[in-house]
Amino acid sequence: MTDQDLDRCYTALSDALAAVGEEKASLLLATLSLSLIVKESDAKIVLDLIAQAGELART
Amino acid sequence: MGEGPQAGAPRLPVLIVGGGPVGLSLGALLARYGIASRVIEADAAYCQGSRAICISRRSQEILGWVGADRPLNAKGLPWTGGRSYFRNQEVLHFTMPTEPTERFAPMVNIQQYFVEEYVHRAQDRHPGLCTVTWSTRAVATRPMADSVEVDIEGADGRRETLSAQWVVACDGARSAVRDHLGLSLEGTQYDGRYVIVDIEQESSRPVERLAWFDPPSNPGSTVLMHRQPDNVWRVDYQIRDGEDPVEAVRPDQVLPRVQSHLDMIGETAPWKPLWISAYGAKCLSLRSYRHGRVLFAGDAAHLVPIFGVRGLNSGLDDVGNLAWKLALVVDGASSDDLLDTYSSERVHATRENIAYAAKSTEFMAPPNFAFELMRQATLRLACVDPRVQSLINPRQSSQISYPVALPGVGFPGSDGGAALRPGEPAPEARVRTADDRTHLTQYFGGGFTALYFSDTGSIPVAATQLTLSSRQTVASLTTVRVARNGGTDAATVVDFMGEAWHRYGARDGTLYLVRPDGYVLACWSQPDWQAVAVVLGGILKRQALPNLRLQEGSGS
Repeated sequence: MTDQDLDRCYTALSDALAAVGEEKASLLLATLSLSLIVKESDAKIVLDLIAQAGELART
Repeated sequence: MGEGPQAGAPRLPVLIVGGGPVGLSLGALLARYGIASRVIEADAAYCQGSRAICISRRSQEILGWVGADRPLNAKGLPWTGGRSYFRNQEVLHFTMPTEPTERFAPMVNIQQYFVEEYVHRAQDRHPGLCTVTWSTRAVATRPMADSVEVDIEGADGRRETLSAQWVVACDGARSAVRDHLGLSLEGTQYDGRYVIVDIEQESSRPVERLAWFDPPSNPGSTVLMHRQPDNVWRVDYQIRDGEDPVEAVRPDQVLPRVQSHLDMIGETAPWKPLWISAYGAKCLSLRSYRHGRVLFAGDAAHLVPIFGVRGLNSGLDDVGNLAWKLALVVDGASSDDLLDTYSSERVHATRENIAYAAKSTEFMAPPNFAFELMRQATLRLACVDPRVQSLINPRQSSQISYPVALPGVGFPGSDGGAALRPGEPAPEARVRTADDRTHLTQYFGGGFTALYFSDTGSIPVAATQLTLSSRQTVASLTTVRVARNGGTDAATVVDFMGEAWHRYGARDGTLYLVRPDGYVLACWSQPDWQAVAVVLGGILKRQALPNLRLQEGSGS
């Protein structure tokens, strides 16, 4: 993914979160995560990323 | 009511309201083009506080046309990149595009009052053409049929009425002229507010843009630092949600936060505050920068968030775009329709600048919980995954391309045989010349320039140096042959590093016509001198072209 595309996706996701509001933001992120997870054939990659996100969220 | 303009008194060609860096640069550039102007400035002298401090490469080029680039670069601090930190960890180290052969650094830091002083002094290169009157403000602006009347008031309260052919409002964010015409800026304003503090402190740190997100010195805040000449630091930090912006600039609020941050980064020399101010990010613009005989430039026309340093830099680009067009119109060499292209091109540039700056602002001052949440995630992930670091990049100001060569002017122009399209900036290149010039852009900023890429081709005598008006310098054409090897002469430069041929995508015979402000006007894969004459004829009134007869093969 190019920097420009990443930037576009970042803004789109931010706007989508703002549109559903703070209460529903976690639901949107969980749904999006699942959609991206089923695109990945290697479960280990997914599990490692979940573990990493868990660690980063504690910082 | 003031005294009326005296009957029969000569009208000013151009009255510039506002003597900041934009207004002073416009006066200086018009003077270079042989056009008289008067600048009135409400303040008694150059600005207080360092204000806009980052001067882009493009702005340095424009200040070069003004004649202020040498003192600017002697005093200013050049820089090419920066670092961002999340808490204590570096999460981005960026560099701006630059080559060792460049004429100017991508960015130079300098206090705004120095820029104003250098530009003002450069006006003396053309004595008698630009007068600056301090402590004088515009109190009323009245558009007339073929002139504009402006009531001005001096420091002693005395009023008089000036009559000018053209008025250019460069009087800043709170433009009086804008109010007089009943115009207002439109757009959006962001909630997040920043405090700006300039302090004096000795430091040996390299000159970089430094940013800290959630630093231990000021948890939850964002802190930016830039070095300026004379041991001055610019410190910007975001104030807390709900914090009163008036309270936030009180020294007892500001100084402990600055001290805490200096302690954190290990800058221990004694320091003192010089200037404290505050700002909120705004994306605002007039719909049009031309209203009859009144034109708007700089902050009077548009306000962009400071992230990415597009404020003063876009104001100087306004000047670069406007000066040559206004010179042609005042001189009677072009119809005033040309000034409509100033508005449409610079409104386009503002839209682009706002799009970039809004992106930066969404990161630097998140407008809602969603951008705040995404920033939190990005900063954490950037510590372990460099692929997201580009999201932290401040997207520094870069030169805006225009959609076409010149709106509303029909050209037979380009045959599509060259790499750059009309409306794009003409690139820089290191070249060898017969005089003291070292770079191709040093040929821009006067009249029109034709760049003829050829090792052996000849230039028609008429095209080598063609003056189309005896009264000013913009209505002229200079042709420069850009050869890859051989010797230099008055009309030939040597592209000894191959930069020009490469960046212009040139083949033998490629011909570019470049606007006075350094934008591509037209290009051909083979020289068509008659087409050059037709393009210039589209901009200049026919009567201004009596001696434009370009025949190939008749010259040096």
